[in-house]
Amino acid sequence: MTAVTTANGFALDNSGKRIVVDPVTRIEGHLRVEVNLDDHNVIRNAVSTGTMWRGLEVILKGRDPRDAWAFTERICGVCTGTHALTSVRAVEDALSIKIPENANTIRNIMQLTLHVHDHLVHFYHLHALDWVDVVSALNADPKATSELAQSLSPWPKSSPGYFRDLQGRLKKFVDSGQLGPFRNGYWGHPAYKLPAEANLMAVAHYLEALDFQKEIVKIHTVFGGKNPHPNWLVGGVPCAINLDGIGAVGAINMERLNLVTSIINQSIDFVEQVYIPDLLAIAGFYKDWLYGGGLSSTSVLAYGDIPDHANDYSPASLLLPHGAIIDGKLSEIHEVDLRDPTHVQEFVGHSWYRYPDETKGLHPWDGVTEANFALGPQTKGSKTRIEALDESGKYSWIKAPRWKGHAMEVGPLARYIVGYAQNKPEFKEPVEKVLKTLDLPVAALFSTLGRTAARGLECQWAANKMKYFMDKLIATIKAGDSATANTTRWDPKTWPKEAKGVGFSEAPRGALGHWIRIADGRIANYQAVVPTTWNGSPRDAEGRIGAFEASLLETPVADPERPVEIIRTLHSFDPCLACAAH
Amino acid sequence: MAMTETFYDVIRRQGISRRSFTKFCSLTAASLGLGPAFGPRIAEAMETKPRIPVLWLHGLECTCCSESFIRSAHPLVKDVVLSMISLDYDDTLMAAAGTQAEAIFDEIRQTYRGRYIVAVEGNPPLDEDGMFCIIGGRPFVERLREVAADSMAVISWGSCASWGCVQAAKPNPTHAVPVHEVVSGKPIIKVPGCPPIAEVMTGVITYLLTFDRLPELDRQGRPKMFYSQRIHDKCYRRPHFDAGQFVEAWDDEQARKGYCLYKMGCKGPTTYNACSTVRWNDGVSFPIQSGHGCIGCSEEGFWDQGSFYDRLTTISPFGVEANADQIGGTAAGVIGAGIAVHAALSAVKRARDKAVTPPPADPKPHP
Amino acid sequence: MTMTPPIATPAESFELEPIADLSDADTLRANRQTAIYVYEAPVRLWHWINAAAIMVLVVTGFLIARPLPSMPGEAAFTFLMGDIRFAHFTAGYILAVGLIGRLYWACVGNHHARQMLYIPFWRRQYWRDVGNQAAWYLFMVKYPRKYVGHNPLSQLAMFGMFFLGALFMICTGFALYSQGEGAASWQAKLFGWVLDLAGNSQNLHTAHHFGLWLMVVFVMLHVYAAIREDIMSRQSIVSTMISGWRMFKDHGQ
Ligand code: HEM
Ligand code: HEM
Ligand code: NFV
Ligand code: SF4
Ligand code: SF4
Ligand code: F3S
Ligand SMILES: [Mg+2]
Repeated sequence: MTAVTTANGFALDNSGKRIVVDPVTRIEGHLRVEVNLDDHNVIRNAVSTGTMWRGLEVILKGRDPRDAWAFTERICGVCTGTHALTSVRAVEDALSIKIPENANTIRNIMQLTLHVHDHLVHFYHLHALDWVDVVSALNADPKATSELAQSLSPWPKSSPGYFRDLQGRLKKFVDSGQLGPFRNGYWGHPAYKLPAEANLMAVAHYLEALDFQKEIVKIHTVFGGKNPHPNWLVGGVPCAINLDGIGAVGAINMERLNLVTSIINQSIDFVEQVYIPDLLAIAGFYKDWLYGGGLSSTSVLAYGDIPDHANDYSPASLLLPHGAIIDGKLSEIHEVDLRDPTHVQEFVGHSWYRYPDETKGLHPWDGVTEANFALGPQTKGSKTRIEALDESGKYSWIKAPRWKGHAMEVGPLARYIVGYAQNKPEFKEPVEKVLKTLDLPVAALFSTLGRTAARGLECQWAANKMKYFMDKLIATIKAGDSATANTTRWDPKTWPKEAKGVGFSEAPRGALGHWIRIADGRIANYQAVVPTTWNGSPRDAEGRIGAFEASLLETPVADPERPVEIIRTLHSFDPCLACAAH
Repeated sequence: MAMTETFYDVIRRQGISRRSFTKFCSLTAASLGLGPAFGPRIAEAMETKPRIPVLWLHGLECTCCSESFIRSAHPLVKDVVLSMISLDYDDTLMAAAGTQAEAIFDEIRQTYRGRYIVAVEGNPPLDEDGMFCIIGGRPFVERLREVAADSMAVISWGSCASWGCVQAAKPNPTHAVPVHEVVSGKPIIKVPGCPPIAEVMTGVITYLLTFDRLPELDRQGRPKMFYSQRIHDKCYRRPHFDAGQFVEAWDDEQARKGYCLYKMGCKGPTTYNACSTVRWNDGVSFPIQSGHGCIGCSEEGFWDQGSFYDRLTTISPFGVEANADQIGGTAAGVIGAGIAVHAALSAVKRARDKAVTPPPADPKPHP
Repeated sequence: MTMTPPIATPAESFELEPIADLSDADTLRANRQTAIYVYEAPVRLWHWINAAAIMVLVVTGFLIARPLPSMPGEAAFTFLMGDIRFAHFTAGYILAVGLIGRLYWACVGNHHARQMLYIPFWRRQYWRDVGNQAAWYLFMVKYPRKYVGHNPLSQLAMFGMFFLGALFMICTGFALYSQGEGAASWQAKLFGWVLDLAGNSQNLHTAHHFGLWLMVVFVMLHVYAAIREDIMSRQSIVSTMISGWRMFKDHGQ
């Protein structure tokens, strides 16, 4: 190839200078990206590679379906719990198990807790340093920083003295010469646009968010016993409710409910008084950096999640949007059917796996996971010293999922675009408010910044929805129903000889599905198609590129030695590679 | 090194008084189970030492060990990272990427030869020349070996690095192995758990820094201070166990009363970890307190020990899985039946022999 | 038609059975007398205490593995599981201490006191005798041989199933016990290696649990064989373990 147009409409040209970023850091897992720059240092070709695989789908075969949640939960500790939830849903679907209302409510609270936590940590600890120059914060005036902070939000930690102390600590830290995690960052890079005061404020919030995130997850600890990796249960939730009977101190009781309520309230405060104001303030300085749209303006996919009513997974019950948009037609929302063999399929033409026929995709119920590490003929270097990959051959541990043949973007932005297109006020209004505040057109949504903004809005939505479900939990208990598990089909003897099911959810990074086949009480096949499988997808047999690759195209890189623009856009997806390839 | 800032400098600069600093130190001593006498020693250590470089490597993993680490409440992880250690490499948190990140390995290995710690999360796969986990275009296992070679000690975070964990569960498709199988000649501290408890992780690091020595390890290489007792030995549901009061089904009356989860497959009696004492997330709860049995996540090979809802290991001698009682009970049943038949045949024989055969003459008895 | 029982002359027998401490006198007496003193008092005492301990261990062990339905009432006033475990551990100690005593007696007692602790593995004749005894159980020979001590098959069971089995249960049992006593306990120092060998505690439990079935199977076979032989063989059996004397029923015929 030199110049081609892909089947999904992107111009690729790999004739220019190739640069490699490996490892891509501040993500979960191992990702490599290679791009070709033209004479003006604009990206004309992008190759993204998942560089790890563990074989969970292989390991799951032959196991007890009731144990699957624990295995799949270990697909990822960052989006901890979402795979477990999706797994118990898949098993319950296969075995027609109905869960109690409280179990649904508690699961929703746990899933929303994950969204709040994950989005917050992503913004401050994984993404912020793409926009915030820590070293520049040393030049800030603490008093001006205080004024800036107070103009943005009523958050109390904003006095000049507070910022002065922090700056002192930071200075001492930098002076020590031991920069720790900030060592060798792109500090002083011209792509950083924030004034020193905004940088200092952001550093303060980086540390505050680090302190606060550990509070949010205590909700998982209450209901699931620990975080990361809380415990789940096929048929409900493992925690029993006992408000005032004998032994109530050992169950979900008033004290536990109060703890959860208190954390929910703190979370809402933190998101609304720190995260959202920071997001808007930072975005304000980067308004013209509208690169990174990629697939978002043409093809987005959401399965929906957070069922308002137990056991009702129809779009009407799902509070998060469900549907697909293709060809950029926001006016037409397509129904997504996870059972239909023509909807979701995975391809492996450019992935390190083997299919009997690699020109065809496989629906996950018939999915196959068989490793096949092979490098294309144009690979530079050797098998264990890869200098440059050959994207005409196999080049990633990630499979290529397609919806009706389309490469799709998933994630908060996809959900907000579908919600916006469906005119759901909960999603449309906040988007419009942000666009208005920043004075940007709707098209600005389809960008790196749009992705980052949607994540913030979703974090706020999720924090408030937790409150809604907490009220619901209390109302249900008040009405006399404190059941949390249905055990009628716990015993494998009650199961049919063969069954298949699908569970889905909206993980923080996007649409997640688990497909299971059960035979004789054991897992006969298990396939997960995960958000970062979609976003980080390599090309398919027909050359369609995935969301990461598409998003990097057309972006100018100021300094090819220090390509902050590349990681900025990649980070806007919040890549999770352990999830992607599992 | 230009200037070195100690933890004490930092904490004083934040406006924290000498008094609360001392208090922090005695709390740390208490959380390590060291008793009040150790408070001053911790204080002294923190007042005088530069920060030790830590290179945190990630192999095949799920990153929840990192997630757990950042949940530490005492000490706060920000204090660990800013004031106690110098976390110079950690793919998950570091600002640098690509070549700038890779350069750090050489920098630290040269400047701090023999004086840095390698913390490993996840583990290396060996099949396919290690290319199931590629970093910088090379197999992770090579990087791990190189970096460990010049280190002062290695910490194996979590069950992945310590035992192999989920990717090493049967059939271990990538041939993932724990760190101690590829690194030799260095002290290795295993901190198992999937993930380990945050305060256990920071406790191990604080101990190293404070006392300038490795914590005492048990035969399996785990710090005794956190791994010498089973969940069951300190479980608050233990009185129900001793009384014979058990949860018999999920969400039954006994579950609501907080009875013992033994019959639901709780692996507390077979699991060494600090959950029932330190608990999780600043002491809020731990698996058993929230109604699910322990799944044994800090034990070697816990994924391949049969169902999480069965206390004992499932064994499949002939392809059909069965537990000890099914196998033993069947054996006893078969033998019982055999005895019955044999007894009947013996009775018949005896009746017949009596009728027809005279006893033999003068036999010679054997010893 | 009658079958001739396998009768060896004393001379032959000495060639075939070169057992050091089975004196000529023993054999001669067995051919002359109706009774020989076989099991000395400590062996008999040990046997019945040991049998009781094993019964307690099997029952309580099973109840530890599969506890009874939940007890009603306050945990503070009930200690059922605790009592069952206490009985198990007490019986476990009795088993262990008893076996040590029994080993002592093997050193100072008569020849028969040693039989349970070994099998003459390298002696071809022994295995032939095992075959012969098996043939007797399979109704393939009409008359069993006479034995002063254990018959070869029962010696195999005593050694292979009981002695090794009991050692196994003691090693795994005390290794389990050491988990509660802690790493500094003598149990851990003496039996900690068993835990290492098992790999982890759950494997150890599973192994110890399997041992229960080994013991159950042994006891079933043993008690059945003892009673059956008492009736069908040519010597006294059950009463021998009570009085110590082996009576030969068809003496003089
Ligand atoms: C014939 C001998 C024995 C039998 C049949 C027997 C049987 C059993 C069984 C079936 C269990 C339950 C295992 C499980 O499912 O986890 C058990 C547990 C146990 N046994 Fe034994 N056992 C014997 C000897 C001993 C000895 C000599 C000791 C030494 C003190 C011992 C100590 C223990 C301990 C400490 C436990 C664990 C109790 C617990 O987990 O609460 N056993 N035994
Ligand atoms: C838990 C139950 C029992 C166990 C573990 C057990 C174990 C043993 C052992 C180890 C020996 C060999 C003794 C030695 O050589 O020092 C033995 C011999 C013997 N046992 Fe038991 N025993 C049990 C129950 C019984 C019972 C219920 C009877 C009677 C019906 C019995 C009858 C005998 C007899 C007669 C012998 C001597 C066998 C012979 O003469 O060769 N045992 N037993
Ligand atoms: N991709 C992905 Fe996950 C998420 N969110 C999940 O399913 O991160 Ni680890
Ligand atoms: S030990 Fe468990 S928690 Fe830690 S990385 Fe491995 S799978 Fe994740
Ligand atoms: S709940 Fe588990 S750890 Fe606690 S007493 Fe019961 S069996 Fe032991
Ligand atoms: S499952 Fe793991 S977290 Fe603790 S209680 Fe058991 S060791
Ligand atoms: Mg998959």
